[in-house]
Order: sequence, then C-alpha cells, then structure tokens
Amino acid sequence: MADEKRAGDRPKAASDFIKSDSDNAVFLGNPHIDNLMTIVIAMGAEIWADRQRMRIIEHLLETKGKVTKDMVEQFVPSDEQKAAWGAERDAMAKRVYSVMARDTSTAKPFGEEFKYK
Amino acid sequence: MDRRTLMGASAAVTAVVSSFFTGRKAYAKTDAKVMPAGTLAPRGRFGRMERLATLDLESRQDFLMSFRTWANTDLSRAANMRGDAILAAKGIPKDADLKREEAVALLQDDPLIQTSTRAWISCQQLSWNGLKEEFDDNADKYLSEMEATDKMGPGKLELNPNAIFPDYVKHEIHIQPGGYVGSEFAGHMYHYGTNGFYTGRNTNDELHVGAASRMPIPKDGKALRILDVGCGIGQLAMALKERFPDAEVWGIDAGGPMIRYAHLRAVERGLDVNFAQRLGEDTKFPDNYFDIVTSYIMFHEVNPEGTAGHVKEAMRIVRPGGIYYPLDFKLTGVQRRTAYGQYRSWWDHRWNNEVWSLKFRANGLPDMIRKAGFDLNEQEPELLRGFGVLNATKPATS
Repeated sequence: MADEKRAGDRPKAASDFIKSDSDNAVFLGNPHIDNLMTIVIAMGAEIWADRQRMRIIEHLLETKGKVTKDMVEQFVPSDEQKAAWGAERDAMAKRVYSVMARDTSTAKPFGEEFKYK
Repeated sequence: MDRRTLMGASAAVTAVVSSFFTGRKAYAKTDAKVMPAGTLAPRGRFGRMERLATLDLESRQDFLMSFRTWANTDLSRAANMRGDAILAAKGIPKDADLKREEAVALLQDDPLIQTSTRAWISCQQLSWNGLKEEFDDNADKYLSEMEATDKMGPGKLELNPNAIFPDYVKHEIHIQPGGYVGSEFAGHMYHYGTNGFYTGRNTNDELHVGAASRMPIPKDGKALRILDVGCGIGQLAMALKERFPDAEVWGIDAGGPMIRYAHLRAVERGLDVNFAQRLGEDTKFPDNYFDIVTSYIMFHEVNPEGTAGHVKEAMRIVRPGGIYYPLDFKLTGVQRRTAYGQYRSWWDHRWNNEVWSLKFRANGLPDMIRKAGFDLNEQEPELLRGFGVLNATKPATS
C-alpha cells in the first residue's frame, strides 16, 4: 500500500536493508503468549490515549464551555498539564504492570494441594 | 492551511509552496533557533519537535515511553534481583566475574527475566510499528514535505542512494523498521522513536546541545570547519552550527533518509549545515580539512573493519592541531556488570539488534586512536555525563 503511494519518479533516498529476526523471538515458551504480552502493553497505550483525550475534553469544557474535534486534536497542554499528565501516565504504567515484576520463583502450577478436599 | 496540507498538494501549488518557504526563510533570518509553536505544524510543536499527526498516536507513544521507563527501572530491578537469587541458589557469589555466555546460560530461561525481556522488546516493537504506520500510510504528504525542501538552502543536501555501502550499515539497529537506510521515513521514525530513549530530553535536542556546548576546540582557537560523522538526523551537527555560527559544518551518514530528514529540519530552522550521504571511512574531503571531527553515539553501531577505517580517515581529514572526539558509551573505567547486566547487554545485542555493540566494547577504540597518531586524552571534557571521553588531538607536526 505504502509502496504504491511512493511509486513513480519521486526521488528516493532509501536502499536495501538487512531485516532483523526479532519478530520471531519467543521468550515466554509459546509465541501466542508472547503475542499476549504485546497486546497487553498495546491495550495500556490505547486506554491512555482515551484517558488523555478525556482530560483534554474536561479541560476544554471547564475553560471554554465547548468542545470540537479540532479543539481536542490541536490542544497544546501547558507545562503544568504536561507534567501532571506525565506523572499520571507513569503512575498508571506502574500500577497496571507492577505484578509483572513479582517474584514467581516459589509459585506452583495448579495441583492436588490446591484442590478442595 | 497548514504545512502538511501545503506539502501534500499537487505540483500545481509549487508556487504557493515556494512563497511559503520564502516566508519561512525570512522568518529564519530573525530567529533561526526556535520556530513558533503551531505556525508550521498542524498540531504545533513541542520545542523544536513537530508534534505527531494525531492526538491518539502521540498519546500512545507517550504511554510507551512511560512503560519503557517502568521496564527500565522497577522491572529491571526485579529481574536483577532474580538474577542474584539464581546465582545464590547455585552457590555463585553475586559479584562473581562471569563471562557473558555464562551469565546468559544461567539466566535466560527464568520466567521473570524472560518476561522483562519480552516486555521491553514488545514495547520497542509497538513504538516503531505505530510510527511506521503513520508515515507509511501518509507517505505522500511526508514525501512531498521532503521534496519541497531537498533543494532548498541555506545548507546543501547530497544524496547517493545508488552508492555501494557495506553491509554493516544496513541492519535494523534497535529493530527500527528498515534501519537507517531501508525506509524513506527512517529519519522521521528515528526522531520520534528516540523520545523513549531520551525521556523528555529530545524536544529541543537537549543532549546534543549539551554535547556541542562542551566540545573542545583546538588550542589555537580556530574552529571554522566541523564534521559530524554518522550524523543521523543532524541533531549534533545543528547544535555545533549554533555554537559556531561562522563555521562550515557538515554532517555525513550512510543513511540517506536520515540526512534527508536532517536537511528538512535544518531548512526549517534556517541553519546553514551541509548533509551528505557518505561513509565515515571514505568521507571524500581533502586532507587536513577539518578543525573538529566528531561523532555522536555512532561507533557502537559500526563493525570492527569500519571502525578502523573511520579512525584512519579521521587522521587524514583532521588538520594538524585539530580535534577528533568520537562520543560514545564508556569503554574504560566501566563498572563490572552483574549477571543480569551481562545478560541484558546480550539481549540488547541479540534482540534489540544492536548488532555491533558487543564488538564495540572489545574493539580497543582508544588504542586504535592512539596508534593512528592522535594524542588521546581520556579524562576531559566529558561531553555527556556517564559517556566515554575520547578527546584526541592530531599532533601539530604530523
């Protein structure tokens, strides 16, 4: 698709490259579980994008009393807002993903000892 | 009408584009350093950096920066502690002098450590892929923007896309899609993608400006010709031009798309910096031409043969009494890495595709610089805190 858009006599600067094989890396024993990790992080980014939009809409309603799509897209946060929203974003990443850093070395798979007796 | 709208229009609007840039040039005469927010970019600017095209893309990239910061701190600390625990369980002291392959073998199958690696790589892939999608899907407007400035001054742009370059420059370093040579938008992606690396210190080229401000000058005070080798998107080259406004400043790089974007930015800022697609080991400049030759975190992305070639070429083009300062990661006086640190340097090489980073640490670059004939000072000045010091001077008699 993109290549079609670039077709023709347009000046080019790009040339051949050597593709990395990192897309095929499997760290979690099953490529589909690896995919789930990527999905979980991507979902965090999507949720933040909505939250950021909500913050801007709230601010515009409070200060301007109205909101349009362009106002939201072109809104330039103040330094204070950037700092506050950045801190909120960092906190969200920490809050949502901290379980990932849990030491699971003593965790056990589901077995007889967990069953109701 | 915004810049992108102008640039995306057909050839029929060439005159409009020209007048637009004429206006921009006039503006540049009054203040070449900072563009006013929102005058040229559809969504304005953060400092010198044009904001990404949509709020959603910008927000997702911001979140990935936060996630990466968390992965580099809390998650990395947990993985490091897990590494220590694995060593302890095997009766190995945590400060044991392990070889990298030993550390990797001990740690690479642990679930927490693997989770930390997977999380970091996934974040990196998401960031690149989000940027790639934006630039590829809107290729026409971004290409039009570059085409409109390719032949504009004040500085020159020299592209050589059909030149034969060695394979070492063709890798997807940092798993950037297409690397520095293979995508027309390599410069765009690199600029925004490195926000995660600089964590808020990229919008005004803060580190590059800082490095330029501390760059040593020859003892005779003459700094009229300056070269940045492997200049990427020209951040250091432009910062050097700002510090030395009367100097003839060049940036060269094997990545054509990188310098094309660098040129675009230099035109926008009215900075007279020349960019050329050339190799550091074959710069095409005359002998003894430059007062200062530098590079910014480049050598760890160069193979051993290229490294030797770069140093030899630097000795040829730096004038007697001139400075050669290749800025890069620290090579001497480095604190020994923990087992996890060893493992991490390996996966950064293997999975973040830092193809040459391990060899860079074994290349003996300081000795290479000495053997080429430079007088090398490894003590000062430190251009960037925590980075290496390789302040070389070409003897006046050579």
